[in-house]
Amino acid sequence: MKSGSNLEKVLEGGHFAVTAEVGPPKGTSASVIQKKGDILKSYCDALNVTDNQTAIVRMSSLSGCVILIRMGIDPVMQMVVRDRNRIAIQSDILGAVALGIRNLLCLSGDHQKFGNHPTAKNVYDIDSIQLVKTVKTMRDEKKFLCGENISGEVPLFIGAVENPFADPFEYRVIRLAKKVQAGADFIQTQAVYDVGKFARWMEMVRDQGLDKQVHILAGVIPIKSVGMARYMRDNVSGVSVPNEIVTRLEDAKDVKEEGVKITLEIIEQIKEIDGIHGIHIMAVAWEDIVPVIAERAGLLPRPIL
Amino acid sequence: MQAKRDEKERIAMIVGKQKPFEEIWEMIKSFKKVLVFGCNTCVAICHAGGGKEAEILASLIRMKAAQEDISMEVKHAAIERQCEPEFFEHVADELRASDVVLSLACGVGVNFLSDRTGDTPAYPGINTEFFGAVEKAGIFKELCAGCGGCILHLTGGICPVARCSKSIMNGPCGGTSDGKCEISQDVDCAWYLIVERMKKLGTLEKLSEIMLPKDWSTGLYGGPRRVVLEHIAEEGKES
Amino acid sequence: MVKVAEAGVQEEVPSIEKPHETPSDWEPNILAFACHYCAFAAADLAGVMRLSYPASVKVVRLPCTGKLDYIHILHAFEKGVDGVFVAG
Repeated sequence: MKSGSNLEKVLEGGHFAVTAEVGPPKGTSASVIQKKGDILKSYCDALNVTDNQTAIVRMSSLSGCVILIRMGIDPVMQMVVRDRNRIAIQSDILGAVALGIRNLLCLSGDHQKFGNHPTAKNVYDIDSIQLVKTVKTMRDEKKFLCGENISGEVPLFIGAVENPFADPFEYRVIRLAKKVQAGADFIQTQAVYDVGKFARWMEMVRDQGLDKQVHILAGVIPIKSVGMARYMRDNVSGVSVPNEIVTRLEDAKDVKEEGVKITLEIIEQIKEIDGIHGIHIMAVAWEDIVPVIAERAGLLPRPIL
Repeated sequence: MQAKRDEKERIAMIVGKQKPFEEIWEMIKSFKKVLVFGCNTCVAICHAGGGKEAEILASLIRMKAAQEDISMEVKHAAIERQCEPEFFEHVADELRASDVVLSLACGVGVNFLSDRTGDTPAYPGINTEFFGAVEKAGIFKELCAGCGGCILHLTGGICPVARCSKSIMNGPCGGTSDGKCEISQDVDCAWYLIVERMKKLGTLEKLSEIMLPKDWSTGLYGGPRRVVLEHIAEEGKES
Repeated sequence: MVKVAEAGVQEEVPSIEKPHETPSDWEPNILAFACHYCAFAAADLAGVMRLSYPASVKVVRLPCTGKLDYIHILHAFEKGVDGVFVAG
């Protein structure tokens, strides 16, 4: 075991993993995290805590993770390289491990231009792949990026993200290979709506043998409203929402139920794809739908390891 | 051949943009003798701060002063480069005779000028934007960040430091779509360009190697920089 | 009183005015920059046809208005011209 985290145990045990997302509040209340944790706890193997997602200031991921740990939940700490240099990154990793965090997801982070501090200076001292490599070096060699020794263990299960729908399509697999080479243990993908394209991407992943080297969890975002579907189709870069999904929601009597159905169909098809080891449900501001989806998708009960 | 020649004719330089007139006015309105001082190299090419722009701005300031009923003597002058000492000789008196010098040079020029105007303050009339090229007449594009550690041989001649919004070394990130950057449909994704370019050059496999964290100390982040050519500069021997 | 010609304009108009009320009998001072080959020729022709235009309009003949620099327009305004007409 690299970290001994629940997520690692589930994936290494060959189970189909379920993770979900907890967005921290724009405030100081721990109860926001606790409430979401309570809703999701029994239906997921680990919960991601986002790191100032879309560059909007929120409670730090590290604190959110600690609140979840106190509730007996295995958190995945998300870390973007937008806001910290290599000094702060490594320092936060040491602190995260000391506080019991065992999963770390490495991301570039959305550009600050669209956040609530668009005039901020970004950092991008290292990029997400370099972050993966840094964490691996810290864990496996117990060394900092500079080569100096770290005292103590750094047991972390290292995650990275991949967006199969970004350009250039055929290069995404090469980049995934770089993340695997850098040391990623698991991958959580951008939300999948276009299952056909996702399957083609997975075929390329299998051709490279990457599915044998890393656990890939496919991302899904349940759509709550027609407006959200349109917004994601038109405005969220790197997400491709096919028109037929928007049309189905437009025509639906019960939009939320149709959104759940669509998500279930996507999960059903994703489960059939070779090399997919789990699902990552990002129910933004709709956490209470995760238990419903997990239940109806036949993902319950979660293994207790 | 025509296309090739056109490409060669593009000029790399420091690109600047004149500050909003109101901002300039707030800066200088309390002075009696104003010298608007142009620089005839980079910023003249981008129509921001050459002698011609200095003359135009001086005229606008005179009209504004008349409208505001402020008596102000506004002159204009320009030299070839405000970043080299030899060009300053024939304007030295004029500079010192002013109450303020509104320099239309890039930030380099304003700093350099400040050392040469005695008690007269030198203020910036333009915002220095970036190192860029003339893509087409009137369109200037940032292409280099002056990081002090060039890697263009590894990235197909396209700079990820200057041209990727996140300056990432192992791109493209997940925000690219249709070859454009997540920050704007008007911004090309540098890594998309790099991948396409290296595909064309037959060197795509080079990108499979993980590029290590960059040494930023050679850039702005390592403190102010200085280049000394020891075989030319006598001063080099001292430091 | 006013020479309709390409020179002497600057001396005959007052320098920059401060904002003030517009008198009811006010007529704007207009400076026209005209291209020798078209607009100026048209103005000449107007003269031949005995058409008149206000005495407060002065015409400056240029070989080509394409080469008219901004600064000449600004100088005109600085010297108190109320409107600049570029024809070419």
